[in-house]
Formats: sequence, structure tokens, C-alpha cells
Amino acid sequence: MEIYLPIAEMSVHWLLLFGLGGAVGFLSGMFGVGGGFLLTPLLMFYGIPSSVAVATTASHVTASSVSGALTQWRNRAIDLKLGGIMTISGIVGTGAGVWLFRVLREAGQMELIVSASYVLLLGTIGILMIRESLAALAAAKSNAPPPSARAQHHNWIHGLPFKVRFRDSRLYISVIPPVAIGFAVGVLSAIMGIGGGFLLVPALIYLIRVPANIVMGTSLLQIVFVTAASTILHSVSDFAVDIVLAAILIAGGVIGAQFGLRVAARMRGEQLRFWLAVLVLAVAARLLYGLLVSPGDPFSVANVS
Amino acid sequence: MKRILMAIVLAAISASARADDLVAGLSQDIIQITSNYTGTDIVAFGAVENMNVMTAAGPMDIVVAVRGPAMNMIVRKKERVAGIWLNNHGVEMQGMPSYYYVASTRPLSAIAPEETLKRYELGLDMLSADSTSARTPEIAEPYRQALVRHKLIEGLYNENAGGVEFLSPTLFRARVPVPADAPRGQYNVQVFLFRDGNVVSAQSTPLYVDQTGLERRLFNFAHQSPFAYGVSTVLMAAMLGWLSSTLFRRTS
Repeated sequence: MEIYLPIAEMSVHWLLLFGLGGAVGFLSGMFGVGGGFLLTPLLMFYGIPSSVAVATTASHVTASSVSGALTQWRNRAIDLKLGGIMTISGIVGTGAGVWLFRVLREAGQMELIVSASYVLLLGTIGILMIRESLAALAAAKSNAPPPSARAQHHNWIHGLPFKVRFRDSRLYISVIPPVAIGFAVGVLSAIMGIGGGFLLVPALIYLIRVPANIVMGTSLLQIVFVTAASTILHSVSDFAVDIVLAAILIAGGVIGAQFGLRVAARMRGEQLRFWLAVLVLAVAARLLYGLLVSPGDPFSVANVS
Repeated sequence: MKRILMAIVLAAISASARADDLVAGLSQDIIQITSNYTGTDIVAFGAVENMNVMTAAGPMDIVVAVRGPAMNMIVRKKERVAGIWLNNHGVEMQGMPSYYYVASTRPLSAIAPEETLKRYELGLDMLSADSTSARTPEIAEPYRQALVRHKLIEGLYNENAGGVEFLSPTLFRARVPVPADAPRGQYNVQVFLFRDGNVVSAQSTPLYVDQTGLERRLFNFAHQSPFAYGVSTVLMAAMLGWLSSTLFRRTS
């Protein structure tokens, strides 16, 4: 069954895309991630133009993150002040990212930068996750407690100026790290169509030492607003958001996420993380292959407005 | 500029035809793209009336050429830089058609000499841009060929020798494919009657491809009010996220 996408200007198999949204939603429910980092490359492999893939995926991440953020909100597990500061710097970062995206698109290098960024991001994360999950699996086999990363209590971050008190996180730290992290995630969100939870959560835990129970909700808050801003700015700057595609993907995604949550309850964490790492590395490898192998046809055609 | 000259030439030919009157029409002159549009075929048909039986001329040939709205495109060439393949050089081309289909009773090269085909731009090899950013036509030629190749693969350019058939000594028809990603806009359908390698009569009729209903409204919404459109998408996403959070509350 085919449906015509008004912005991507192509006919697609809507059932296939619904399934794709569902599969990514399933993974996001299982692992508690946004899923944008998988959805954008998969849409590009399917043949959706890269700018439409990046812009429309941002709205998909918004939907999944709203669902998670509301749950955390009900449990009062959000630091509004910290989340708010990161959201504001994140929106500024998104603006910068969308501007950079447009510059790259007009120079014809956007696909290269998006693919290369994904290779770096997914490659790094995939390798880290493989190492961590293999260690956890080995520890589980020998019935030893899983290894945990212990950084020092005070690092160089605590020496920075402009300190502010964050009551909910019980922190008294400089605003510079949250602003910088929020900004960086905003830029990446605009260029790659991701939510950035992969970067945000470890950065909050290891660099700023936000308590674990606050981290998920606070980062989800930032992701909701940053991906929303990314969607709106991409729409204004490139007319690249396809609302029909978004509706299909999100409908599949929210349903898939529910199944993912149920399956996650039945599987062991280390096994899930291992297979997710394998999937992440497979996508990274496919993108890298596309960059290094000589293309069948070196010519590409694009419309100029 | 080229097209204005061509239109004048066509008008002159039609006006001065003493015999071999050509009439032509389309099965549909408006194509509406809806959500389940997967491409369609329309039929260009016509007849040659008042055939000049006194002429010891060769056989009649009909050529049907359909051009979509002109677009400006950029063709880029990837080269290996530091091990990575990336876009290095590009040539901009103005005025290439976004859709092109040519069908004829026999292969074009058998119907008319190359300069005639070039003048009317009949045939994929005869398509040329109004202007390019390349310094010489020789530099632009591989890029032009790449553009034609890409459009051929996408199904937007096509050449069909034998695509026009005569159903009777005077009545002919040709099927014109309009694929699912045919661009919106005004197309021009030209029908030429060739005898002895010359155009003796020609007709031109417009074809409109447009989105209809919801798809058109969404497209206009996205391009005319992009901010509101973006906000609407976000609100839809937020609502679906909120719905899933409340409906499935027991598992979260």
C-alpha cells in the first residue's frame, strides 16, 4: 500500500514505514533511548532525502521523549532549573545547527557531514557499549557484581566560575558545563536529527554528577524542547519536515515502544545492551562503507531553488 | 529564449500547412496527485486529416514530446579526497525539464536528421540546458549526460521509439507515463508530424499535474506558513506522546 508524502514528494509503502517507526519505537522502549540515531540513517537507506529524514526524525524523538518526560514528571524526577538552562542553551545550539545545516546543504556537503558525524558518533558509542556489556555479561557469568565506573568526587568542573545552586539535584556548580552541554546537544540535534540522550545522560552523570534518579527526567525535558525547536527551525529554514511521514513513524513508534517496554522487563539488561551495541555498530559500518567505497555513479543531481 | 523561437516556428508550420492537418488531444489534461497516487498513464491521441495523397513523400511519422516545468539543477561529481568520496565539482544547469518523455512511430534517428531533432529538442541526447555554470560546453557535457541518466533511472526522463502507434491510416495514439514523483506544474505536450525528415505539422497542448485536496493543502501550509506548520507537527508529536503515556500508564 502506497501513500504520497507531500513534502518528500514521493510515494512510499506506508506499512513499511509504520513498521520501521514501530521497530525503532520498540528499541527505544527497550533501551530507554530516543531512537533518532537509528531512524535517520534507516530513512536515508530507504531513499528519503537526507534533509527530510533529519527534520522529520526530530519530531519522532519529540514524541517518544514527551511520553517518557511525562512519566518522570509524575514521579517528580526532574530538575526544572537545570533542565531549563540546558533547554535554553540547547535551543540556541539548534538555531546554530540549523544554520550550519543549510550552509552545508547549499555547498553540497550535507550528506557527507551527516554520514561522517553518524559514523563517529555511532562508532564511538557502539564500541563503548560493546566493551561495557561484554564486561557486564562476563561478570554475570561468574556471578561477580558488575563493574561500575567510579570517577573522583571532585573534578576540574568544580573549579569553574559562575556557580549556581541546583536544589533538586543537590548541586552547587558552575552554569558553564550545563550551558555548554545543552548547546552541543542542540547543534547535533539539528544536524543529525537525534535527541542526544546518548550524550546527555553520560555527560550529566559523569561530568556534572547529577543524581541518577533525576538524570533521565531532566535530560528528557531538554530533549523534548530541543527536538521541538529543531523541527520548527528545519521547517522554517528548509521546508524539510513531512508531517505525513512524521505521523506514520510516530504512530508506529508509540505502539512499538509499549511492546519494547514489556519485552525489556523480561530480558537481562546486559544482553539487551550487547545486541543494541551490535546494531549500532552495524549501522555505523554501513555508513562508513558508503563513504569509503567508490560510488557506482560519482554524479549526483539536486534541484536548486 | 529557445522555447519562444520554437513556439513561433511551430505556429508558422501549423498556419502554413496546406495539407496534412494534424489534430491532437489528451485523455486527461489535469492529473491530480492524491495520497494513493502511484503514477498513471495518459493517452495522447490524434489524427492526420486531409492527407495529401498526391505527395510522393515517404511514410508519415508522429513524434509526441512531453516536457515538464523547467528547473534549475546542480550536478555534482564525487572524487576521492583523503580516502573519502565527497562532492568536489559541480555544474549548475538552468532550464532543464523536470520531466521529459518522447515517443515516436520509429526510432528518432530514422525519422529526421540530427540538426532537425536538435532544433526541436527531440530525444534524450538532444536535451540541453538554457545555460550552465561551466566555462565550455565540453566541460558541461558529462554532467548533462549524468543528469539525463539520473532522471532516466528515476523514471522522469524516457524515450520510447515505437511508442506511437497508428490505429488506422490516420488515427494514432501514444501512452504517456506520469510517474508517482512527477513534479507539479504545467507540462507541454507537443505532437509533430514528420514527412521526409521535415516537420510538416505540429500541435501543442498543455497538461497540468497538481496535488489535490489534503496533499495540496499540506504542501501549501508547509511552504507558506512554515513556522505554524512546524509548530503543528510538534503539537501532533506531543499529543501522540502524551496519549501513549496516559493510555499505557500501567506499564510505565
